[in-house]
Amino acid sequence: MDIGLLAQYLANGIMLGTMYALVAVGFTLFFGVLDVIKFSHGDVLMLGTFAGFTVWLGLEAAGISNPWVQLVLILIASMAFTAAAGAAIAKYLVLPLKKAPPLNTLLITLMLGTAIREAVRLFYPNGSNPKAFPSLLPDASVDLGGFLLRADSVILVVAGLGLITGLNLMLNRTRLGLAIRAVAQDEETARTMGINYMVVVLATFGIGSGVAAFAGIMNGLYYNEINFGMGLLLGLIGFSAAIVGGLGNLYGAILGGFIFAGLQVVGSALLPFASAYKDVFAFAVVIAIMAWKPTGLIPERTSDRV
Amino acid sequence: MARIEIRGLRSAYDKADVLHDISLTVEEGRITCLLGSNGAGKSTLIRGILGLTQPHSGQILLDGEDITRLPTHKIISRGIAAIPEGRKMFPKLTVTENLRLGAYQVGDERTIRARMDSVFEAFPRLAERRDQLAGTMSGGEQAMVSIGRGLMGAPKILLIDEPSLGLSPLYVKENFRIIEGIRDQGITVFLVEQNVRQTLAIADYGYVLSGGKLVGEGTAEALQNDSAVHAAYFG
Repeated sequence: MDIGLLAQYLANGIMLGTMYALVAVGFTLFFGVLDVIKFSHGDVLMLGTFAGFTVWLGLEAAGISNPWVQLVLILIASMAFTAAAGAAIAKYLVLPLKKAPPLNTLLITLMLGTAIREAVRLFYPNGSNPKAFPSLLPDASVDLGGFLLRADSVILVVAGLGLITGLNLMLNRTRLGLAIRAVAQDEETARTMGINYMVVVLATFGIGSGVAAFAGIMNGLYYNEINFGMGLLLGLIGFSAAIVGGLGNLYGAILGGFIFAGLQVVGSALLPFASAYKDVFAFAVVIAIMAWKPTGLIPERTSDRV
Repeated sequence: MARIEIRGLRSAYDKADVLHDISLTVEEGRITCLLGSNGAGKSTLIRGILGLTQPHSGQILLDGEDITRLPTHKIISRGIAAIPEGRKMFPKLTVTENLRLGAYQVGDERTIRARMDSVFEAFPRLAERRDQLAGTMSGGEQAMVSIGRGLMGAPKILLIDEPSLGLSPLYVKENFRIIEGIRDQGITVFLVEQNVRQTLAIADYGYVLSGGKLVGEGTAEALQNDSAVHAAYFG
């Protein structure tokens, strides 16, 4: 295979890996503080992306057409909306079920995800059809010997990795991060330290959801298309990435995201048939990894939770 | 002022640990102890004061104010801190991070540092190991972290739940000496223990709990010779 093509695959993999990692960290954060799987994560992400898209329609109608201004406003609106949605779900659906078996939370959020998906399909104007998401990033590119490095991908990857780094710094260097880690390790003792448990849980769900919304917008900008079902696959991939990496561990989620992206890229590059099978290949390998390492690549016992 | 008054408390945590109509007072500036064997209801009482278990009925007053239904973080903000049973370190956090959590409600970084310095002064061993994960330390060292963490919030009242549990006799002795020192700094101490002899040696006043009921109270000297104490343990 020639170098240019290889570089193209690599760039794709990094792009997708960043996106998946942004979704996976949410699963790991939620599991860290509450020991629950929130299956509506992907659909909440989709909802946030549609919120961002709606803001874009509004900006266009209002005649605000500077792409950078649009981008910043879309991101702020989408992340804030999704953060609020995530916190609300934690408060009204997840926390009330705290004493119930975790399976119940999983079921309820699974149903919520379906309800959100169907609601967007039915009630968003022409919601059953894909929407053309604007390309707001510069379409310049650099030719690096047979490989076109697109400026928009570079910006997206840098911003995405910056967000993950910021999240990591928040967890390890701030007072809120310390509180989140304390709650993840021992809820009651954390409360005994004077930590407002409810605030920490809602903040965690808000942050995890807001970060996922960034991945949703990234997805829209990259493929120039969004649809009501986009959260299903992104959520499933994010969940698999978090599990493969070792649920409850931030680095595991990031690693898992990049592994999954790598598998997809390898699948579409090397499989002799159409690249449509890349997900089949990636999920099959994930199943094999889980059979080999049932608790994930970075198991919780030997590592810090979130 | 720093005084806890409990009136007619009925509460249950798990099935074995039930409290029936408990009334007691923790007086300011003293060590008040609560003696009782396993399952007598000692932990339920501590959980009640901290707001971790909601009582069925009764009142908990702090300096005359009802704190019975307050969420835990609001109770802590009124000047109560706890050294929980089994020390309850955050095993995957460093010594420094554990201590910081003890001063979670203190916003001022300089105050936090000053208090941490005084903890390190009292426990030089912790200063050496400040960046070590608490879970990798010995039981005695963890006890130091737990005590230091309890003091980081500069509480008016410190609740101490079975500090001698799982420690070697040498550490137990050391711990009780430290608790006396805490009282001498002017902090009100409510000490819950099974270890009768050593507890009464440092306490000012005590209550005896058996089967969820108070079966005796008095000054430490009086309790040392009280048959109810012996009955509660051996009867």
